[in-house]
Amino acid sequence: MGHQYKAIQWNKNKIIYDLYTVVAIVLFIGVFMVVGLQTQPTGHAADPVVLAIRALGVATFTMLTVILAIGPLARLSPRFSPMLYNRRHLGVMTFTVASAHFGLALLWYHSSGPLNPLVSLFASNPLYDSIPGFPFEVLGFAAFLILFVMATTSHDFWLNNLSAPVWKALHMLVYPAYILLVFHITLGALMTEKSILYPALTAVTFISISALHLYIGYREWHADNGMKSLKAKGWVEIGAPDDIPNMRAVIAPLPKGDRVAVFRYDNKISAVTNACRHQNGPLGEGRVIDGCITCPWHGWQYRPDDGVSPPPFTEKIATYKVKIEAGRVFVNPKPNPPGTRTEPAIIAKQGAAVT
Amino acid sequence: MSLYKGVIDPKPSNPREMFVGWADAPAVDRRFLLGALPLGLAGAGGAAWLIANELDDPGAGAWLTGATHEITGTLITDPYPMIRIIDQTTPGGVRTVLIVAQGKCTSALQLNDQRGSQVTARGVLIQRKQRQMLEVPPFLDDWLMPAKMELAAAVVSPPVKSLGTSRLAGAIMDSKCFFGVMRPGRGKTHKACASLCIRGGVPPSFWVRTKDGAESVLLMTSADGGPMPMDILPLVADPVEAEGEIVRVGDLLQFRANTSAYARI
Repeated sequence: MGHQYKAIQWNKNKIIYDLYTVVAIVLFIGVFMVVGLQTQPTGHAADPVVLAIRALGVATFTMLTVILAIGPLARLSPRFSPMLYNRRHLGVMTFTVASAHFGLALLWYHSSGPLNPLVSLFASNPLYDSIPGFPFEVLGFAAFLILFVMATTSHDFWLNNLSAPVWKALHMLVYPAYILLVFHITLGALMTEKSILYPALTAVTFISISALHLYIGYREWHADNGMKSLKAKGWVEIGAPDDIPNMRAVIAPLPKGDRVAVFRYDNKISAVTNACRHQNGPLGEGRVIDGCITCPWHGWQYRPDDGVSPPPFTEKIATYKVKIEAGRVFVNPKPNPPGTRTEPAIIAKQGAAVT
Repeated sequence: MSLYKGVIDPKPSNPREMFVGWADAPAVDRRFLLGALPLGLAGAGGAAWLIANELDDPGAGAWLTGATHEITGTLITDPYPMIRIIDQTTPGGVRTVLIVAQGKCTSALQLNDQRGSQVTARGVLIQRKQRQMLEVPPFLDDWLMPAKMELAAAVVSPPVKSLGTSRLAGAIMDSKCFFGVMRPGRGKTHKACASLCIRGGVPPSFWVRTKDGAESVLLMTSADGGPMPMDILPLVADPVEAEGEIVRVGDLLQFRANTSAYARI
């Protein structure tokens, strides 16, 4: 959490994550280069620079695909949470690989000519009015600019200064960037190479990522709809205290569209916003560790009763009033200002207690 | 009514187990990762192998940067810089070697003073099958020297023979990349580079396939045999067809047609 800014707050898991990612990238590019150089007939060797441009481009698309898959996969199974934990580093590494692809392509295809390389990028192919002839390079460049903005604002400094919603909205640009890359590939490499494998792989990848997101979106929409019966004027009924797993939460949609995470711990019930202050992670999918609600995404922690991070951290989230009446848990849908202490509801042994 | 217990792991076998980045991973996650991580590496290597193994054959071009090549012959500047040399292995005993500068700005070469004279030129050889090109590195100040030797008339001024008018389909290439500097030096991914090269003075070539599938490369000129005008640039690297006159000059086949004769297929 952000009581002070460091370039990277390393820990063992981050080091393992980054080392593994670097090994995977080097392996991918190395195998691509070796096979690309060896696979052609004698005397037909491919240009190593062109091969490197392609290897880096394919690696960028693959990494971005993995990044987009991690989120929904982590919502399908908690086993994917470790991959989510350091996803920002994977994003910065993707930008690094994309930079190498962009730099080499600019150097190899657009430099040493009669035009400035950046002018050449936009002017060398003038077929902007044609779909098959469209200059695919500008699509890749647009995606690169988005990745640049995302990489440069990836640090918690920007997250805090831009505010979480703005930062999150900015980083949702990864989806337009991904679509731009799909068109960059379709109107570029796929129109050059003859193998059916490439359009097939691109289509399968794009459809799989889209389907994964649609499925997860449907699940959440379905779950929210299933909770509609809970909505009521005034206090919102959540259910019986025993319906909430101990040291964990249930998530309920509120009338204004927010979600509340209702935690049961130490024979008490507290409710906080479901959105983590850090990256809007789903707090209600975390658990109570060392007396604090712990976000499943990056481990940020908040005290259940006031929504404040334990010292020395200072982050605050909104809390909600809770009560237990006739053995049922109710939440006041009006959020308290972040960091407001709210008395937990005490669970009586036989169920009926009131705060 | 059922309560919504979060979208992940609503009924964990051990509710105490949750991966938290700053803590040791739970045993269940460690077991999963021990299996998944090697699979991920195998997937990365396998995907790279699969994709690289399917790449198109870039062709027989070569850019022999490891050695300086020297040729002696007659310097020609129209329609493009070239040197005709004696080569008994070719029909007519003459071989045409195109001359380009390093990079994409061949028009920077100043050759008019020695036009038509006997010269010795040094540079890096670029070769695709029988077609050759000499690239002049910028650091070779004396790359072009006058030469004293007797050359047959066929080398100095080979006969120009018209082979008639034909309609050909293929793609416009910049000769330098296509001959071997970039492999592959064709297709849409190379369009911008080819366009820049031709704009910079690299001779354009028309790459066609004959009815029996054989590759043929013809030097493109305007209908009157001059350099190809720059309005050809939008058509570079695209599939095109054109009707023009095929002319043999020594060992070199030229395709003579104005830009208006070309149409994108």
